[in-house]
Amino acid sequence: MSAIVAGFFEIGQSIAIIAMMLLSVVLGFYNEYKAEKIIDDLRQSVSLKAVVTRDNKTNEIDSRLLVPGDLVSVYVGDIIPADTRVLECKDLEVNEGTLTGESFPVEKKCDTINLDHPIPQDLTNCLFMGTVVVHGSGRGLVVSTGRRTEFGAVSHSLARARPETEFQRGVRKYGNMLITLTLVLVIAIFVLNALVGRRIIDSLLFSLAVAVGLVPELMPAIVTISLSHAAREMAKKKVIVKRQVSIEDFGNMDVLCTDKTGTLTSGKIALKSHLTFGDDAQLLEYSLLCNSAVVGEKVTGNPMDSAIWEYAIENNLQHIIDSYTSIDEVPFDYQRRMMSKIVQRNGQNRLITKGAPESVIPKCDYVSVSRSNGSDSEGETIDHFRRVLEKELIENSKAGYRTLAVAYRTIESKQGYSVEDEKSLTLLGFLVFTDPPKNDARLALDRLRALGVDVKILTGDNELVAAKICEDLSLESTKTFRGSDLTAMSSHELREAAKSATIFARITPEQKLDIIKALKADKHVVGFMGDGVNDAPALFEADVGISVESATDVSKDAADIVLLDKDLVVLADGIEEGRKIFGNTTKYILMGTSSNFGNMFSAAAASLFLPFLPMLPMQILFMNLFYDVANMTLPTDSVDTEVTQLPRRWDINFVRNFTLFFGPFSSLYDFLTYGIMLFIFQAPAALFQSGWFVESFWTEVLVIFVIRTRRIPFVTSRPGKWLTILTLSCVAVGTIVPFTRLGAFLGFTALPVHYWLLLVLMVATYLLLVDAGKVFFYRVCKF
Amino acid sequence: MTLYSSTMIWWMVSISWSAIFLIVVSFYLYWKGPRPQSESSQGIIGKAKDFIFVWILTSLLVLYIYTINYSSAVIFAAGNIIVEVILVVYTVRNRAKKT
Repeated sequence: MSAIVAGFFEIGQSIAIIAMMLLSVVLGFYNEYKAEKIIDDLRQSVSLKAVVTRDNKTNEIDSRLLVPGDLVSVYVGDIIPADTRVLECKDLEVNEGTLTGESFPVEKKCDTINLDHPIPQDLTNCLFMGTVVVHGSGRGLVVSTGRRTEFGAVSHSLARARPETEFQRGVRKYGNMLITLTLVLVIAIFVLNALVGRRIIDSLLFSLAVAVGLVPELMPAIVTISLSHAAREMAKKKVIVKRQVSIEDFGNMDVLCTDKTGTLTSGKIALKSHLTFGDDAQLLEYSLLCNSAVVGEKVTGNPMDSAIWEYAIENNLQHIIDSYTSIDEVPFDYQRRMMSKIVQRNGQNRLITKGAPESVIPKCDYVSVSRSNGSDSEGETIDHFRRVLEKELIENSKAGYRTLAVAYRTIESKQGYSVEDEKSLTLLGFLVFTDPPKNDARLALDRLRALGVDVKILTGDNELVAAKICEDLSLESTKTFRGSDLTAMSSHELREAAKSATIFARITPEQKLDIIKALKADKHVVGFMGDGVNDAPALFEADVGISVESATDVSKDAADIVLLDKDLVVLADGIEEGRKIFGNTTKYILMGTSSNFGNMFSAAAASLFLPFLPMLPMQILFMNLFYDVANMTLPTDSVDTEVTQLPRRWDINFVRNFTLFFGPFSSLYDFLTYGIMLFIFQAPAALFQSGWFVESFWTEVLVIFVIRTRRIPFVTSRPGKWLTILTLSCVAVGTIVPFTRLGAFLGFTALPVHYWLLLVLMVATYLLLVDAGKVFFYRVCKF
Repeated sequence: MTLYSSTMIWWMVSISWSAIFLIVVSFYLYWKGPRPQSESSQGIIGKAKDFIFVWILTSLLVLYIYTINYSSAVIFAAGNIIVEVILVVYTVRNRAKKT
C-alpha cells in the first residue's frame, strides 16, 4: 500500500497519511484493549470455585488452579472443573449436554471400564469438565485440566452461541446501513470524479479518504470504553458484569423476572416454630439428622437447613444427634423437592425424609401422634389429619411462612438406598420458617417501577406465600398463574399470561424458560434473576441474566451479571448506568451519521464543480483523527435524567431520520463556506482548503454540545467536564494548525482576519439552527 | 468577472439543493410522524406556525445566496445576527411551551 501511495505522492505525505491511519487504529485499539482488560479483571472476581482435597486438607479454590492429582468433591449445581475419575459417588447424575449434546442426565459410577477406544459417552466412571451435576454428589481424582480436557479439545465447536442481544442487533443493523451508504457514496464519488477528468489515482484516494471520514471507526472503542466505564462504576456498587455487551440491554430492560427468596426477601431464613402431633424433640432431632448444611466455625449451605442448625446451636441442642450413625443419603433434587437420610441407633435403621409438604405428604401413610406415656405411634393413618394439615399449610402460606415437612420410617439394612425407599412414611410434623421482606426491597421496587421496569415473580413456592410478599412490598399483583395452569396453555395464551400476570407460582425450570421466551416474543427486553441450578436455562435465555455470588456454579456461569450483594437496589443503579451508556453511544452514532456524513457529502458534491479537490486526502484524515480524539471522552459525558427515566430500544428508523434531517445542515454550511471562499475571498486551492477545514472542524466538533441533549445546551444541560475540555482543546488545535509548520506540511495556509469574523457568525448561526431543528425534530419524531 | 464566476450556478444549485432537501425531509417527518395535537396546530395559520423553523431556513437560504452573489460581507453579518436572534426566541419559546 505504502509503495503505491509513494509512487504518486511525495514520500513525506505518504508517511503522514499512513501514520495518521495507523494512529487512528492504535487509538481505537489501545482504548478498547484497556477497557477489555478492566472487564477481564472484574470477571476474575466471580470465577468458578472447586472443593479440593490436598494433603488431607479440604479447601475451596479457584477452579483454574486445579492440577492433575487433586481430589475434588462435586455437588448438585456444580460445574465439573476438570476431567475427573470418579472414586466415590452417591446417586451422581451429570448433564453432559455441553459435551455430547445429550439432554438427559447420565448416571455416574465408580466401576472400572474395560474398553479399547472409549468415547466420552462410554466413560460412566469419569466426569468431564464443563458438564453439570444435576443429582447426587461425588468425589474424584483430577486427571486432566484446561485445554487437555475433552471439553478443552473441542470447545470451539461446542461453545453454545448466546442469543444475540437487542444491542448487538441494533449495532448490526446500524453497521449495515452505514456500509450501504458509504459504498454507494464512495463508488459515486470515484466514478464522477474520474468522469470530470481527474486523475484516476486522485479520484481513488479522495473517495477512499471520504470513506474513512464516513466510517465511525471509533464506534467499537466508544462502545467498549462506555461499557468498561459502566462496569467499573457498577463494580463499586458490588455488581460484576461478566458479559459487557449485556449492560446496554440491562438499561433497556423493561421486564424483570425474579425469584423470591433472597431477592425480595432477606434470604436470612429463621426457624420460627414447628407443628407436630408427636414428639417435639424428635422433630428437631430428625431435622438435624436429615440436613445438608455444613457445620464448621460457621453454618453454611442450604438456608433452611442452616436455619435448623442455627436454632439448635442457639438453644444448645446440637448434641442431641450424637448417638446416631449416618448410614446413607438420598440427596435433594428439584423434581422430588425433598431429601432423605438413613441413620442408625441401637441397631435400628431409620429413613428420615425432609422436604416440601406437597411432596412429602403424598409419601406418608401415617402421622406420628404422642401418647400419654410419651411414646409415639405409627398407627394413626394420615387420612384423619389431612384437613387439619391442609388448613395449617394454607394459613402458614397466607402469612408468608415457608414450611418443610419431616417424615420417617424404620427400614431394613441393605447395600444401598434410593428414592424408591421414600414410601409408607410417618409424618412427624412441620417446620415453619420466616423469611421477611428486605428492608430496602420496597424502595428498590419503587425505583424499578419509576424506571419503567415491570417486576414479575417466578417462584417454586406456592402462590399464597408469593402473594403475601407482594402485599408486604406494595407490589401490585395483577394476576397469578400456577405452573399447572401454564401446562395447558397454547403459545398465544402463554404470551398473554406472561404479559398480564405478576406472580407465577409452583413453576418448573422449563416453565420459567417458557415465560422468558414468551415475553421476548412479545418484544420485551427481559431480565431474569435467579440463583439455583434450576434457574440456569432461564438465565441463559434472558436478555440479561442476573445471579448472585452465593449462587450455584451453573447459574453464575449462565448469568451475564453477578451481584455480590443480593440486593435489588443495586439493580436499579445498574439499569441507570446501562441507560447512560445507551445515551452516550447514541450520541456518538447520531454525531457520526449527521454532521460527519453531511461534511463528507458536501466534499463529494464540491469535488464535481471545483477546479481542485475541496480537501486533500491527507487533510481529511487529519480532521478525522482530531474528530476522533474529541469524541474520546464521550463515554464519560453526563446524561440528562429524562434519558434514564424510561427503557429505550434501538430504532434504526430513528437513526435514518436523524441522518436525513441533520446531515443537510452541515452540508448547507459547507456550501456556504465554499461560496464565501470562492466568491468573497477569490481563494486559491490552499486558502479554500484551509477555510473549509477550519469551518468543517468547528461545526463537526462543536455540534456535539447541541446534539448531546434535547435541552438548551449549557443552560439546562451541562456537558461532562472532560468532554468540554477535550472538545474545546481540539477546536483550539484545529484553529491554530493552518498557521503552523504542520499546517504548511498538510497543505494549509494562514486565513485572513475577515474570514474569522464571518466564520464565528456563520458557526453561531449553524449551531442555533441545529438547535431549532432539534426542537422541530423531536416534536415530530418520538424516541 | 470573478475568478470562479463559472461555478456560481453550480454553487447556487448545491446550496439550494441541501436547503430544499432539508425542507422536504421536514415536511415528510411532519406528515409521517405524530402530529402536534395543540390547538395552535389547527388551520392554515396554525400549520404555518408549526413550520416556523422551515421559514427561517428558507430566509437563510435567500440571505446566503443574495450576499454571496453580491459579495456583501456586511449584509451577510447583519443578516446572520438577525436570524440568530429569531432562532434564540424560537427555541426558547418552543421549549417553554413544552414544559
